[in-house]
Amino acid sequence: MRSFRHPVCFLHCGILPFHNAKLMRVALFVTCLVDLMRPSVGFAAIRLLEAAGCEVVVPETQTCCGQPAFNSGDRRAALALAKKTIAECEGFDYVVAPSGSCADQIRSEYPGLFVDEPEWRRRAKALAARTWELTSFLADVLKVDTVPGEFAGSVTYHDSCTGLRSLGIKQQPRRLLGLVAGLKLKEMPESEACCGFGGTFAVKFGDISAAIAEKKCINAQAAQAGAVVGGDLGCLLNIEGKLRRMGDETTRVLHVAEVLAGVLPNPDGKAG
Amino acid sequence: MRSQAMFFQRRAGEALADPRLQKNFAGLKDKFVGMRARAVANYENDFEELRDAGQAIRDRVIDNLDVWLELFEEKATARGATVLWARDGSEICEHVIAIAQRHGVTKVTKSKSMLSEEAQLNAALAAAGIQPVETDLGEYILQIADNEPPSHIIAPAAHKNLDEVADLFAATHQQPRKTEIPALTREAREVLREHFLSADMGISGGNFLIAETGSVVLVTNEGNGRMVTTLPKVHVVITGIEKIVPTLADFATLMRLLPRSATGQEISNYVSVCTGTKGEADADGPEHTYFVLVDNGRAGLVGSEFQAMLRCIRCGACMNHCPVYQTVGGHAYGWVYPGPMGAVLTSLYTGIENALDLPHASTLCNQCGVVCPVKIPLPELLRKLRERQTERGLRPWSERLALSVWSRLAQRPALYALATKLGVRYLNWLASGRDRIAVLGVAPGWTAGRDFPAPQGRTFKELYSSRQEQKA
Ligand code: SF4
Repeated sequence: MRSFRHPVCFLHCGILPFHNAKLMRVALFVTCLVDLMRPSVGFAAIRLLEAAGCEVVVPETQTCCGQPAFNSGDRRAALALAKKTIAECEGFDYVVAPSGSCADQIRSEYPGLFVDEPEWRRRAKALAARTWELTSFLADVLKVDTVPGEFAGSVTYHDSCTGLRSLGIKQQPRRLLGLVAGLKLKEMPESEACCGFGGTFAVKFGDISAAIAEKKCINAQAAQAGAVVGGDLGCLLNIEGKLRRMGDETTRVLHVAEVLAGVLPNPDGKAG
Repeated sequence: MRSQAMFFQRRAGEALADPRLQKNFAGLKDKFVGMRARAVANYENDFEELRDAGQAIRDRVIDNLDVWLELFEEKATARGATVLWARDGSEICEHVIAIAQRHGVTKVTKSKSMLSEEAQLNAALAAAGIQPVETDLGEYILQIADNEPPSHIIAPAAHKNLDEVADLFAATHQQPRKTEIPALTREAREVLREHFLSADMGISGGNFLIAETGSVVLVTNEGNGRMVTTLPKVHVVITGIEKIVPTLADFATLMRLLPRSATGQEISNYVSVCTGTKGEADADGPEHTYFVLVDNGRAGLVGSEFQAMLRCIRCGACMNHCPVYQTVGGHAYGWVYPGPMGAVLTSLYTGIENALDLPHASTLCNQCGVVCPVKIPLPELLRKLRERQTERGLRPWSERLALSVWSRLAQRPALYALATKLGVRYLNWLASGRDRIAVLGVAPGWTAGRDFPAPQGRTFKELYSSRQEQKA
């Protein structure tokens, strides 16, 4: 039996999943990296949200939240992409992204972008208030207590910086991973240390970025877990790339959504 | 100090390639980060509230900086000190040399002062025939190492290990090489004692200036600050105009923050509050006290979007916790101040066009922001500096082109879908059946030190729309 709690009815509707509340409509903000590099994360997110009783819509015209432009100091481009994203995503009960950093761009940065456009600012604030990172949405809003995934083995969790320090995402993914049948969580030393990704930083300062990633990988390996799991694909690509270059062919690198949903990519990296 | 900030990339690369430096950095990080964490955990009250209080005090001062400075000048003057103002580094040097000449000084002892680094004061003093002797152990080590610049604001010689110091001492002091820290510090003390006793003037920085009493506060661990400020007949304090705090009570609050954030101590070994000149009843103290209060770019930040930076109390926590600083060390930043605060200050004080890499040399992980005792939003300031660079057209054309192509695409969903579809296929072709790409032409920086995982094969959008079609 699926456990589902709708925030407006406050009753635990395990028996009557849809009670008399209407289905919660959630827009999935896929994120540009997931779209490009790892669609399985997007499908995993859909599976998780649907399993928790949401109606998931993927706004068709979405591209990128604009964070790369914002962090590169190109405010104009960031503003244009913010407007586009707001218009696409504002008609839903919630917007959920499988990334702390993209969710935070919408939640924490969008409102501040509109200095002299009060109407846009209002819309940005309204959207910000409805936007969540996936694991915190599942844990804090939907308060799920079952997840579809099964995982035979151990994982170690990397806390991505923006999710951790701006959105306070720390216990949520761990609690959810605890619900995955068969999964054992092993903490690595310094799980909160930056992996060195930093968006365009990883390309502009590749040598520094890779050196920081190496420290992260050494810590991750120290956990002696079968997989490194995290909530932001950028960090995961960085960690996976460094592990492989270091000759580690066995430690898998997985997005938390994939593990929770049981939608794992094949070991060769292709969508499962 | 002439800025070398434009060479960040190269100097960072050199640091990365130096195994001895890498080892020193690792030890440093473990020490500082662990000690601060323990001190914060052991703090009897809520450390976050303390940070709020610290920020409030600093904001109160900076919002009305001129008023507090006037009060300070009035109080300090009433206690017999002379307050001088310096607009920039060269005015610092002029003031200090004039003071030295007025009092017939030929040798000065110095306690740590980052402002004197901003002004390249030691070189100016030497050129004027006045011998400067650094007495902070770290600064002393750097001085005898052919005037190396500091790599950390509270541990200037942090990049050197015991062996290097032992070699340096043996060569400079012409004494048998010692390898135990106590023996080395004893040797330094013996050498420095001579200087303490023979110098006619002491120069110190200042951690705080207290407006209500006209005092300067020195927070040190070595006791050299006391020697420098009490033994010579002249004491010159060189400090930034932003170092002011209204009252002794405010200072007490900030003192709860500073040592805990800096070294993880509840309190530093020495805290000296120096007020005015030696009075009738005083056993010691300088006959002449001068304050050289320095602008050097600070006043221009008041009221600007970078004003928060003036709250800084120079604890060093931001660099201690910075993954980039931990990896490349302080010298890569190229000027006086390293790490996140240094990236901001170097840009603001030496010109953003002279430090193009620094605001970008950060992952914006915000580890600095969460440890800063006065809650300076360092990543936000770095980002704003990036914006200023963009506005002034200071970014390289290749980067601007890439950003503009990408952002135009991202605003046109149909075109974007096509471009990403092709892009993914191109990446997959590069991977040629493997799960990774070893050399990525469009981002060589990425693949120089790690692989680039191959994409799964199709974009999410492609897969999703074919799934929807199947459903329909
Ligand atoms: S910016 Fe904050 S953390 Fe860094 S030195 Fe200044 S006060 Fe300390």
